[in-house]
Amino acid sequence: MKRSLRSWLWEIPIDQEVDEELSLHAELRTRELVARGLDPQTARDQAIRRMGDLARLKRTMADLGRKRDREMRVTRWIEELRDDLRFAFRQLRNSPAFAVVAVLTLALGIGANSAIFALVDATLLRPLPFGQPDRLVALWETSAKSSRGFASPVNMTDWAARGRSFVAIAGFAPGVGGMVMAGADGNAETVSRQWVSANIFDVLGVKPIAGRTFSAEDDVKRANVIVMSEAFWRSRYNADPAVVGRQIRFDGALWTIVGIVPGSFRLLGQTSIWAMRPSLNLPPNMRGAYLWQAVGRMKPGVSLEAAQADVAMVADSLGREFPQTNRGRSVTLEPLHDSMVGTDLRVTSMLFLGVVGFVLLLCCANVANLLLARANVRLRELAIRSALGAGRRRIVRQLITESLVLSLIGGAVGCAVGAAILSIAPSLIPQGLLPATVTLSFNLRIIGFCAVAAVLVGLLFGVMPAWKATDFSSAAVISSDSRTIAAGSGRLRGLLVVGQVATAVLLLFGAGLLLRTLVAVEAFDRGYRAGSVLSMLVDPLGSKYPTPESLQQFFDQVEREIATIPSVAGSAYASDLPLDFFDAAAFSYEIAGDPPEGETQRPTTAYQVVSTTYFSTLDLPIVAGRGFDQHDARDSVPVCIVNEAFARSLHGRSPIGQRLVLRPASSPQGRPVVREIVGVARQIKGRPDETKDFVQVYVPMAQNLSDDIFLVVRPKSGSAEALTPAVRAAISRVDTEQLVSIRDINTLEDIARTATARHRFRAVIVGAFAALALALAMVGVFGILAYSVQQRVRDFGVRRALGATTREVIRLVIANAARTIGAGVVIGLGLSAISGRLIETMLFGVRPLDVATFAFVTMVLGFTAALSVAGPAWRAARIDPATALRKS
Amino acid sequence: MTIPPKAPNALLHGTLDALILKTLTRGPCHGYAVARLIEETSGEAVIVEEGSLYPALYRLERRGWVEAVWGTSELGRRAKLYSLTDAGRKQLVTEMAIWRRFATGVSRVLLST
Repeated sequence: MKRSLRSWLWEIPIDQEVDEELSLHAELRTRELVARGLDPQTARDQAIRRMGDLARLKRTMADLGRKRDREMRVTRWIEELRDDLRFAFRQLRNSPAFAVVAVLTLALGIGANSAIFALVDATLLRPLPFGQPDRLVALWETSAKSSRGFASPVNMTDWAARGRSFVAIAGFAPGVGGMVMAGADGNAETVSRQWVSANIFDVLGVKPIAGRTFSAEDDVKRANVIVMSEAFWRSRYNADPAVVGRQIRFDGALWTIVGIVPGSFRLLGQTSIWAMRPSLNLPPNMRGAYLWQAVGRMKPGVSLEAAQADVAMVADSLGREFPQTNRGRSVTLEPLHDSMVGTDLRVTSMLFLGVVGFVLLLCCANVANLLLARANVRLRELAIRSALGAGRRRIVRQLITESLVLSLIGGAVGCAVGAAILSIAPSLIPQGLLPATVTLSFNLRIIGFCAVAAVLVGLLFGVMPAWKATDFSSAAVISSDSRTIAAGSGRLRGLLVVGQVATAVLLLFGAGLLLRTLVAVEAFDRGYRAGSVLSMLVDPLGSKYPTPESLQQFFDQVEREIATIPSVAGSAYASDLPLDFFDAAAFSYEIAGDPPEGETQRPTTAYQVVSTTYFSTLDLPIVAGRGFDQHDARDSVPVCIVNEAFARSLHGRSPIGQRLVLRPASSPQGRPVVREIVGVARQIKGRPDETKDFVQVYVPMAQNLSDDIFLVVRPKSGSAEALTPAVRAAISRVDTEQLVSIRDINTLEDIARTATARHRFRAVIVGAFAALALALAMVGVFGILAYSVQQRVRDFGVRRALGATTREVIRLVIANAARTIGAGVVIGLGLSAISGRLIETMLFGVRPLDVATFAFVTMVLGFTAALSVAGPAWRAARIDPATALRKS
Repeated sequence: MTIPPKAPNALLHGTLDALILKTLTRGPCHGYAVARLIEETSGEAVIVEEGSLYPALYRLERRGWVEAVWGTSELGRRAKLYSLTDAGRKQLVTEMAIWRRFATGVSRVLLST
């Protein structure tokens, strides 16, 4: 065995080394000189004189020595690492079953974590893909009614011009609409379009990849200009640069394509083109049109608070100047990132991160458990190495190297697992949960995450078993058998399993609550009885049907054509669809004759325009009064139907015959419309998880015509989706010039499913992880029981020999298991009771301390525990006393 | 060759290294023994000064050409014993080749007629 001078076994301070070496030299030299005949004193003087400047020599030597030591330490460390790695790989090769199980367990844990990390990274950590994103803020126009309202283009321009905090403020339409594009081949197609103000690209700091973006000149000239997305440019125009400058007919008018912006740029919606809407020199009445989601770029050095104060002051002065529209209105700023990543997504991401973190801990516990079990087997090997002179730290380091090798392999496989999960993730994540600016992709950051996670995990599960494994007296181990020594690590493993069971209980409980929420939101009464209903948005071109009469005629004609389809039971029009983003405060109302209320105190209601056949098509019962009929025409008495929640709000007064004063919430000063209530319709749901019935007013389509409206069609039988081609064909027969945009083709069932999608998503993901956690915990329980039975073979054998029955032996094993599992369950339920409140905002129809869920978790756990106990108990029962005693 | 007390040049440095390495081929020995052996072998023509010897030994150790362990000296005291490593043996071959070329060159110049 090579032993270096600098070996840690025998380290001498460098100064002492130098001193000793030189004094020996002087001594020997003196002796030599004495032997040559000098007297000792002269010899000594001469010997020392030969050394010259002794202090300097010592300094030089010590200096060189220190450098040498430093280098040798590094070299030795690397050599040892190489040895340890070689040894670790040999160890893993020698026990492939252990290696495979451990690596897969870790890969699962790290892979799941990396996928969730991708979500958290995309939503919470990564900055928005715009230039200097920390300078960007969302500006919400606030009123007494709404704290997050859209901004009017005129106000928006004033905030920027009169205030001192913003470089510029731009706006974009919150939704994505469609435009009918006349193709060169004569086929019309609907292209998704988002309205934006001219300066939006400048504010966000987006550079075009071809052409230019909008200019102030476009704005002033009211030019018809669009900017195209890279994806659409590539797919529709094969990335032809000549497209820039070309004019294309959209919705019948000519628009100029001025530029292409890169695919990385997305606003709130995924869209093919951005079309400019003017925001400069607008007529004053536009002050009351709340169109834009406003985004501002703050000047350098301006804080969010300063900008907020500044723009609020501007809003105040606008309120004094234009009391008609602006009184009581102000502005709230919010970092753009926060406004794009909503609370719901933030909370969901954190929930998943917590859950998946627990799963990783469980994986660690299982691998630590395996390592502890192996440590007992390897006790003799370690003791012998220790007896041969390897110190405890050296052995611990070697064992930790083994753990790290395991965890790094696990991390590499986990990376692949994460990539696989992310490749299928887009189909799992419900639409609308992630804002368009957020993309989930496998990238370097995720690989980095896997690497860091692997190292941390390797240390986490490696250090304790390694320390425990080396906590022995080598003499005791080599001379005795290992049974007695194993007892200590058995207790540690027991604790690990208790922790695992507790974690599994916690996750099961969370999953149980989310599952009950899902059941609650899916089992609600939708209100209407029709099963399968097809829906689509019909958007005829304004210039083709300029008058309400022509528009009405078009809609009637379409309805007549659809009626000729044999499999259609009925069709109708509606401005909104059940469960599809109702604005519950679209209008304010007063009851005519009641004492008038202040503008801000008026109650609000949802406002839905429907055709006469709407109630029969959806099979939505009229519970009092009458439905709409053809007599409720454009010039007859304005009428409306209210829902049950509305009727209840009248406290016993009959709603029928009352007259409602209705004003749009967006223009409270506007001229109100008075409508007579003619009927009460059954309550429907606006949102699946609404806690209060929403108040609704139905208005006949003939009396409030808009130029885009949903068409709903109910089949006589079978699936509504199958009707789609026939219905589209019917519309084409009316719209021979193909100037009608048809989009958002859906069924009401799909819409209902989408409405509950995020609940389902949460329940499914947390449920899956909880199941995984349960499986891991049960593997842990099984492992420790099987091991303890094996360790106690002789004990059981003796008991059997002394007359214990099979039943008594089994009871012994089960009692052992029950203690561990019971402790885990109690701790887990305790933790659940404490942490249930953390996810309260995600729950609906179930309380955080839900007894049924507690019972459910305990039952599931009991059942799976029984499964994992059965094997070891069976084995213990079959121990033959004679064989057991002979073996030892 | 007596090393001048001052200004040891690079050539002589290199030469001292070669001398030490060569000396250690005889077996492990401590610093004093290295000096004595060089002096004796050279017929006292080369006097190795401590001020050069020990820094040279430490440098050689740092480069991994010699290796030191604690042993016992003839006085029964603890002594650092230097021995040649495999890398040192290779280095010696190189040094000797360099020396041979150098000595031949110098001889040609000085002894030319």
